[in-house]
Amino acid sequence: MVSTKTIKSSKSLLIDEYIQKLEQGEALLQDSPQNLLEVVGILKSYGVVLDAYSVNLCYIANTQFLVLFPFFKYFNGEINPKKLARYIWQDRINFEYAEYCMKSMFWHGGGGLDAYVDSPEFLAVIKQVIKAKFKYNPFMLGLDKLFPDFLPEHMRQMAFYSGLGQFWRVMSDIFISLSDRYDNGEIKSIPDVVQHILDGLVADAARPITYTVKVKDQTYDIIPKSAGITFLMDTGVPYVEAIFFRGTPFPGTISYNAQAYQIPYDQGMFNYGALYADPLPIGSSGIPPTLLMQDMRHYLPDYLHEYYLHTTRGEDDLKIKICQTFQKSMFCVTTAAVKGLAPHPLDTQDAKEKQANRAYLTNWLKRLLESQLVKVNS
Amino acid sequence: MLSTLILVPLLGAALIGFLPQKKPDTTRSIALAIAVSVLILNLVLGFQFNPTITGFQFAEDLPWIEWIGLNYHLGIDGLSLPLVFLNSLLTLIAIASSSKSIERPRLYYSMLLLLSAGAAGAFLAQDLLLFFLFYELEIIPLYFLIAIWGGKRRGYAAMKFLLYTAFSGILVLASFLGLVWLTGASSFDYEPLRTQNLAVNSQLLLLAPLLIGIFIKIPIFPFHTWLPDAHVEASTPISVLLAGVLLKLGTYALLRFAVGLFLEGWVVLAPWMAILAGISALYGASCAIAQKDMKKVVAYSSIAHMAYILLAASATTRLSITAAVFQMVSHGLISALLFLLVGVVYNKTGTRDVDSLTGLLNPEKGLPVTGGLMILGVMASSGLPGMVGFISEFLVFRGSFPIFPIPTLLCLVGTGLTAVYFLLVINKVFFGRLTESLSQLPKVRWVEHVPAFALMTLIITFGIQPSWVVHWSEVQAVTLLTGG
Repeated sequence: MVSTKTIKSSKSLLIDEYIQKLEQGEALLQDSPQNLLEVVGILKSYGVVLDAYSVNLCYIANTQFLVLFPFFKYFNGEINPKKLARYIWQDRINFEYAEYCMKSMFWHGGGGLDAYVDSPEFLAVIKQVIKAKFKYNPFMLGLDKLFPDFLPEHMRQMAFYSGLGQFWRVMSDIFISLSDRYDNGEIKSIPDVVQHILDGLVADAARPITYTVKVKDQTYDIIPKSAGITFLMDTGVPYVEAIFFRGTPFPGTISYNAQAYQIPYDQGMFNYGALYADPLPIGSSGIPPTLLMQDMRHYLPDYLHEYYLHTTRGEDDLKIKICQTFQKSMFCVTTAAVKGLAPHPLDTQDAKEKQANRAYLTNWLKRLLESQLVKVNS
Repeated sequence: MLSTLILVPLLGAALIGFLPQKKPDTTRSIALAIAVSVLILNLVLGFQFNPTITGFQFAEDLPWIEWIGLNYHLGIDGLSLPLVFLNSLLTLIAIASSSKSIERPRLYYSMLLLLSAGAAGAFLAQDLLLFFLFYELEIIPLYFLIAIWGGKRRGYAAMKFLLYTAFSGILVLASFLGLVWLTGASSFDYEPLRTQNLAVNSQLLLLAPLLIGIFIKIPIFPFHTWLPDAHVEASTPISVLLAGVLLKLGTYALLRFAVGLFLEGWVVLAPWMAILAGISALYGASCAIAQKDMKKVVAYSSIAHMAYILLAASATTRLSITAAVFQMVSHGLISALLFLLVGVVYNKTGTRDVDSLTGLLNPEKGLPVTGGLMILGVMASSGLPGMVGFISEFLVFRGSFPIFPIPTLLCLVGTGLTAVYFLLVINKVFFGRLTESLSQLPKVRWVEHVPAFALMTLIITFGIQPSWVVHWSEVQAVTLLTGG
């Protein structure tokens, strides 16, 4: 009993401490020159990788819809022997990671995009697209009649390809411009990083997310602008929930037996996301985050690469170090999201607003304390 | 030619030991150069060796102390050639895997080379007394190598090793003296003594002390207790030589002298020896399962695997004797590999405790190459096809089963248990999540794995092409059994 009380009080103390930091304009991640160097460096490489992911996701959504065997979906339309050889040799961007994130978002759902793909309006347009696409293909039309949920589900997934592609387009630009500002001496602390990301999110918060496809010169607005799907609330927030918090368990990073209920029955209780990921198993083959770390290592800025080379095992445990730094950077993005979504400005002096903010922040921090937050700050 | 295999390491030991103080690196380089040159000499010898000829080749016979019947008589045949080669290879590997910053490097490398010379002399000696001298000679450097460069209880382990093996030597000597006395031979020369006809009872009387002495050396249950202590306290390179070379002196003596000199007596005792082999194999395997120290697991595994040689020798068929020789080579390579890898784990983590280690296969922060090689080594030791362990154990069981089916089945259970105890170790030590305390391990440089890769290459090569070793000893197996 004594120990339980001690744990509870130490937890609430920690929550109070973080709330205080956030109210004072600090970030979840401790501010230090080393953290700043790591975070900005890793976000630069992440920005480059996100750009590639974004381009590919949009390419797949726009050109590979209703293609049941998209063998060359990672080629972005450019198929030649040289690219094929590089692909077979695995000398390429791991677009599978982008799909892993898309599927995770699709599975966890949430937000306006998820609601819209289940709407009658969406289904009506989808039916037209299917008919147009398979006008001279009785086999597929017959298949659609036999299994009427199959092709619409495929198109829902395509909508998420497009949604995540557009979301990452914005995030990529934010991270690249952050790096440019850091190189110009404008970013000097972790709170500066958070502010830059927050400004970027706010600037594009209302940006519409749309999805249009073309079948034989006819365009179909699958997600029209009038659907009111926006960047921040309909893709950004569900993305943070699905990728940063919930994620999906996969063999290699955790060991589980689903039949023995070793993973929660309720998706809302999942905590396998980026903020919770255990960096130590990263580097093992077949683990999705490893693919991201593999991609980012190619685009590390020189100063960060140099820093990594002089720590622990140098190049040998690079992916784990990238993962640890990546988690630090994601706590900065989370700070920006927490600040941006707060009911009131966090530095408010109004008692009622402060109380509402504290209730809001407590809910966030209860979840975040289970993540790697304490570890990255220790 | 044969003398050079003894003299080069012997002179090398003297050169290193008596030359003025050198830098540790220079001393190591000299020792390496000597070991490489001995290995090259061995390879030349191997190419010149004619496996179709029975008896000894490249013989060198010089009178030495004639009034006691001691001659400097060397020779090599299909039984000793693989072991001489194994000795020179493992000496090189032991030197290569020794720490560059080892204390008292001159004495250390001198002792290593002296040990190598002693073992080579014992394998080549064709005079019983000369064999005994070399058999005893290698005890001295090994005692110092454990007592000076060993672990915390090195004094105890070294003394235990010395007492056991010295006693073993006394029993072997007693048997040799008895043989000369009973036959009325004028010298300790091996070939003339082989052709003497002794009554079976007399053979049994002489065999008893010889076998006890040999069983201590191999070691066979219940004469084995010095071995786990010696392995645990010895440093990695010394464990490699202990398992790979020293234990083979026992099995070599078993085939050369127990079977070679007292064949009729041996046949009488063989059923009991086969049962003892079965018990020893099961005892070694059972003890290995209970161990928490990785090195002790490999040490007890050695006791189990050496028992297969006793089983094969008991069967006394052409195939089983060939198998016994092959099992010696196989065990020498595999146990050396396993000890090397346990040494790397200990060197990097500071522990060999199975319960304290986990997740070492982590590709970035762990010891993935060491772990990968360990898994391959364990597969070889468990007798998986494609590796040398499969061939040697298959030959042993195939050659022994028609003669002693029950003991062979006991040994087969033992080989099944090999997979059990090694997989327990592999599962605990290498799989799972790396703990925080193990997450900052120093990285293993590729050069540290070169000896292990060399052994692994041989384990696979001889596993795929066993005839390269078997053809050396096939003819000799017949000679041993026919007295030809």
